[in-house]
Amino acid sequence: MSHHGGYGDKGRPPKKYKAAAAKDDDDDGYYGNEAGGRGDDDYGDGEKEVKKRDFTKLELKPDHINRPLWACADGRIFLETFSPLYKQAYDFLIAIAEPVCRPESMHEYNLTPHSLYAAVSVGLETETIIAVLNKLSKTKLPKEMIDFIHESTANYGKVKLVLKKNKYFIESPFPEVLKKLLKDEVIGRARIQSENEHGHDGFTKSKTAGEIGGSHDGLLNEAELAAAAEDKETHSFQIDPSQVENVKQRCLPNALNYPMLEEYDFRNDPVNPDINMELKPHAQPRPYQEKSLSKMFGNGRARSGIIVLPCGAGKSLVGVSAASRIRKSCLCLATNAVSVDQWHFQFRLWSTIPDEQICRFTSDSKERLQGNAGVVVTTYNMVAFGGKRSEESEKIIEEIRNREWGLLLMDEVHVVPAHMFRKVISLTKSHCKLGLTATLVREDERITDLNFLIGPKLYEANWLDLVKGGFIANVQCAEVWCPMTKEFFAEYLRRENSKRKQALYVMNPNKFRACEFLIRFHEQQRGDKIIVFADNLFALVEYAMKLRKPMIYGATSHAERTKILQAFKTSKDVNTIFLSKVGDNSIDIPEANVIIQISSHAGSRRQEAQRLGRILRAKGKLEDRMAGGKEEYNAFFYSLVSTDTQEMYYSTKRQQFLIDQGYSFKVITSLPPPDSGAELSYHSQDEQLALLRKVLTAKDDMVGLEQLEEDADDIALHKARRFAGSMSHMSGANGMVYMEYSTGRKLPPGSKPKPKDPNKRHNLFRKRYG
Amino acid sequence: MANATKGLFIACDIPMAQFIVNLNASKPPSQKFIIHVLDDTHLLVQPDSGGTIRAAISEFRDKNSYEKPA
Amino acid sequence: MPQVRIIAKNFMDMVAALPAMKLDILYENPFICEAILRSLPPLAKKYVTQMLFSEGSITAKLLEEWVLPDGSTKHRVSIDRLVQLRIFTESVESGRKKEKSYRLNPTFQANLQKRITTGGVLPREPMPPSLTGRLPSLEELEKYALEQWECFLLHLINSGQAEKVTSFSPSMMRVFQRGLLSQSKDPKLTESGFQFLLMETNAQLWYIIREYISNSEERGVDPVDLISFLLELSFHMTGKAYNLNTLTDVQRSTLSDLADLGLVKLQKGRNDSWFIPTKLATNLSVSLADSSTRKQGSIVVETNFRVYEYSASKLHSEILRLFSRVEYHLPNLIVAAITKENLYGAFENGITADQIVSFLQQNAHPRVAQRTPSVPENVTDQIRLWETDLNRVEMSPAHLYDDFHSREVFEAACDLAREWSGLLWEDSDKMRVVVKAEIHQNMRDFIRGQRQ
Repeated sequence: MSHHGGYGDKGRPPKKYKAAAAKDDDDDGYYGNEAGGRGDDDYGDGEKEVKKRDFTKLELKPDHINRPLWACADGRIFLETFSPLYKQAYDFLIAIAEPVCRPESMHEYNLTPHSLYAAVSVGLETETIIAVLNKLSKTKLPKEMIDFIHESTANYGKVKLVLKKNKYFIESPFPEVLKKLLKDEVIGRARIQSENEHGHDGFTKSKTAGEIGGSHDGLLNEAELAAAAEDKETHSFQIDPSQVENVKQRCLPNALNYPMLEEYDFRNDPVNPDINMELKPHAQPRPYQEKSLSKMFGNGRARSGIIVLPCGAGKSLVGVSAASRIRKSCLCLATNAVSVDQWHFQFRLWSTIPDEQICRFTSDSKERLQGNAGVVVTTYNMVAFGGKRSEESEKIIEEIRNREWGLLLMDEVHVVPAHMFRKVISLTKSHCKLGLTATLVREDERITDLNFLIGPKLYEANWLDLVKGGFIANVQCAEVWCPMTKEFFAEYLRRENSKRKQALYVMNPNKFRACEFLIRFHEQQRGDKIIVFADNLFALVEYAMKLRKPMIYGATSHAERTKILQAFKTSKDVNTIFLSKVGDNSIDIPEANVIIQISSHAGSRRQEAQRLGRILRAKGKLEDRMAGGKEEYNAFFYSLVSTDTQEMYYSTKRQQFLIDQGYSFKVITSLPPPDSGAELSYHSQDEQLALLRKVLTAKDDMVGLEQLEEDADDIALHKARRFAGSMSHMSGANGMVYMEYSTGRKLPPGSKPKPKDPNKRHNLFRKRYG
Repeated sequence: MANATKGLFIACDIPMAQFIVNLNASKPPSQKFIIHVLDDTHLLVQPDSGGTIRAAISEFRDKNSYEKPA
Repeated sequence: MPQVRIIAKNFMDMVAALPAMKLDILYENPFICEAILRSLPPLAKKYVTQMLFSEGSITAKLLEEWVLPDGSTKHRVSIDRLVQLRIFTESVESGRKKEKSYRLNPTFQANLQKRITTGGVLPREPMPPSLTGRLPSLEELEKYALEQWECFLLHLINSGQAEKVTSFSPSMMRVFQRGLLSQSKDPKLTESGFQFLLMETNAQLWYIIREYISNSEERGVDPVDLISFLLELSFHMTGKAYNLNTLTDVQRSTLSDLADLGLVKLQKGRNDSWFIPTKLATNLSVSLADSSTRKQGSIVVETNFRVYEYSASKLHSEILRLFSRVEYHLPNLIVAAITKENLYGAFENGITADQIVSFLQQNAHPRVAQRTPSVPENVTDQIRLWETDLNRVEMSPAHLYDDFHSREVFEAACDLAREWSGLLWEDSDKMRVVVKAEIHQNMRDFIRGQRQ
């Protein structure tokens, strides 16, 4: 299988990537089954040798200078971003191809079966794809590419599953395809014969609105446009609602290979009551948010699929807008309780939804929906939970299961494992599913799952364009190289310390000093708000204690988290917080504009992107942020790396996703400055040696990564489990640092210091507090 | 009267010196190559050990650096 | 563009180095006289034209009076050059004053006069179209010349990518490669070779022609004949056909070499064969400074270490391959990635980070050339950091001295090592010193001497 160009598996269901996937021990993801990136590590046994791909024989068109792209026979496409046609070409390419990298001047894309599936499902037809591609191409299109597009799109998008007036229909403009499907035993049996069918094949005929507001108008001539906008005659037959899942299964590529698109004709759904909600006037979707929505609602119906926007670019407004357009009951799924609160807030911020028609369902707030329609915000865990529930929860869950949802709105779809999706999707009946994510990892099994469970990618914004437009912060990224001290490095190299390598490079005194220096610099010189990320709990605690800063990690209770975050938001005295990986997702901290990463989850590109996302929300005035505006950089992302250690390997690997989005990491080799001395910690060798002893004598399971069950930090649900295992040592340290810190200062209004229970303290703390 | 020892003089940074010291320590006695650790950044080693040391360093460096696959 | 040390910059340096006899033979040709005149520094040019139509000599004193006070250096350089080229002959008056005076070389003077007044006649005239039919257009010719030249360069760097074979003998190729490729079984481009590839075409051409001339005697060709022929060639008209039957056998065989370099195109009609000079040939005698208008850059480097070169040239692709991984070839674009592995390969061949960075900067595509920096900082930083990383450990054969019996001897020994620039390390507390192996003998002798 060639992974160099696009194409990949040519429409076959992706096969398992043997042991190569996730071979990187603890690489990427909380679930261990994520192959990572665009699969570029997943082919370890593939062609090692780089073959030069020679496409010099392609015939250049005489006016090639005016055309923006090259298309290669292996599926790779190169796009000049300085072309006057860039904007149109980008919108088109993002609809038909997967972005490989999108830096400043030249983008690269791959044409793959998945990407073409997505193209077809947003209404692009085979001939349109080929015609537009040919218009944009500097050369004649390679025959291989044309064949590939034909081959890949032959089956895709031909069949739709439509829920109309509460009846399920299989719909297609091609009666011969329907006949083929009906030959299948399962589908044949699922068919319901209805009275008003006519025609010799017995299919129902109707008209469907053509694609409107297409963005490729300028690229097509009038005849082509007319063809695209023309109402399509469609044929359909009805199926038994209880057989929907089975029919969908039969249509997947590993069976009949006519994957069904799902569309919801919500305007013609008299069965499900409308919610009286619309966007408030101040909710003005930005151009790329509009574009995402236009892809979703392109033909007047609601399409299922995934929208990819960087963190901070306003995913929630897209979600709320979609719900407000459909105006039917909406089930909104988030990854944790904090995030549930945020969605709840966003719905009321952007839409006119009446208070009684929106409710939260978490372990802490079990609100019941009033009336016959509304929005329920909950977590994946709450819905998928298989264990015993309280009577109250059981009732709510029953309601969720029995209701027919107009929209299933799914947040952060990249972190939710496939089995949980399957469960959630099979438990809930929905007409339309919208997945939102910032970092769509591509070409692995997960994406295949997402493609067929939710739907194809509908839109993906370009990070650099959003930065240039001032919609997200312009982040200065830096990798700070911290040389290991002699003693730490000597221990690092000893074979006996193989399990402590991470603790040693994270606790490297030079790194600590660099971190302390950066915190001081940003707090004092710039008045910034800083998040320090440490996956390594030992380091998190050591750093936070030594620097007297509050921290949040897995065991920190919801209430405690809320309190710390509140203080960070409102107090002038709390400008830095330490977060473990619980802060990667969903904890919304719009105030922060500096991130310092002292330890991370091996080579996870996604984590790196998520963390950057914490500071992407643009601050200040739009005109200052636009290209050429006053503030070139208004956010800072530092990754502190101990040189000559494995951390260097991971650090480079982690950056790859962001680098592909056009970010660059400046290497800084002299932090803290050489003249800094005793004002920073661990200046003397004695202090350094004491720290070293501490690292070396800590128990093995204390110096590793924080182990979170599942990703989602829904503490309430998994509290018991979370305190088990490696976390046992830490129990009770919960929030202690913050408490100790905050008692000496002004507490945020309304917050009370938690009474300390000395019995619950860990040895580490007992010593300190006696 | 002074004593002269022939060897290969190594000048490097602190971590590299530690690396070489550790490499030496990992060898059986017959293969130890360090004659003197002069200070944190200078060593005198057996005249013929340059190749071994360079090879070990480059292997170590490769392990610690990520190369994006084509 | 970094100037290559190994190169004599100027055609005329070579002419000037010819023996007097040979120079006089050259000056028999009016065209060569003009070529020489063109190559002179401006002040020297002025002296020659001033004196061209005057008989007799002019005193050095008088000549100096023509010069402005601040022009004396230029004056001296010009006089030196003219004397070197035997255009001026110097005489010292036998009288009391011993006054120096100069006169023009009579052969040179006569022929230059002839060239200027009558225009002179080339040994051959362009052939009429009736004999040749349609000749290549100037554009076609330029394309041909560049292709030939590129093909030659590909052979030169042993790339195996060249499409045509070369008529140069392997031994001639080896002469050209001297200094550019390493002398190993699998010759690799050296630092100078890399610099050579980065030079612009006229400078490269001159380097090759120089080697070609220096080697001429080994091939049984008189270098003066060759120089004279090359100079003469530069007065032919680009794009016109000249009959091969006007040439000597030696000149004919030279021409087939020159065709390989793209200086001329050889064609055969029904009855006649002819050659068509290209711009490369007619530019030969133009001084390099005049012709070195820099080509427009074609390279875009991205923050993700991708390199895009707007070029169809195999040679460009070979140059990129010296330090990057070439991944795609499109009709007018080469796509490559700078990787650590490829850079390490380049560093091992003696190519430096600075060379690579300045190559990328100087060839920046106009789209990115105006932005600062034209090559992303993270890329240039990383290239340099990788180089630094390779040089973290320095090793040198050495001797350690300890057990000094007195501090005086120790300190004297250190001073001695310093004097010989061989002190590598010293520890005055423990009285230990490390010196380079080269000065071990001197140290030993010194210390033995101290004992006595």
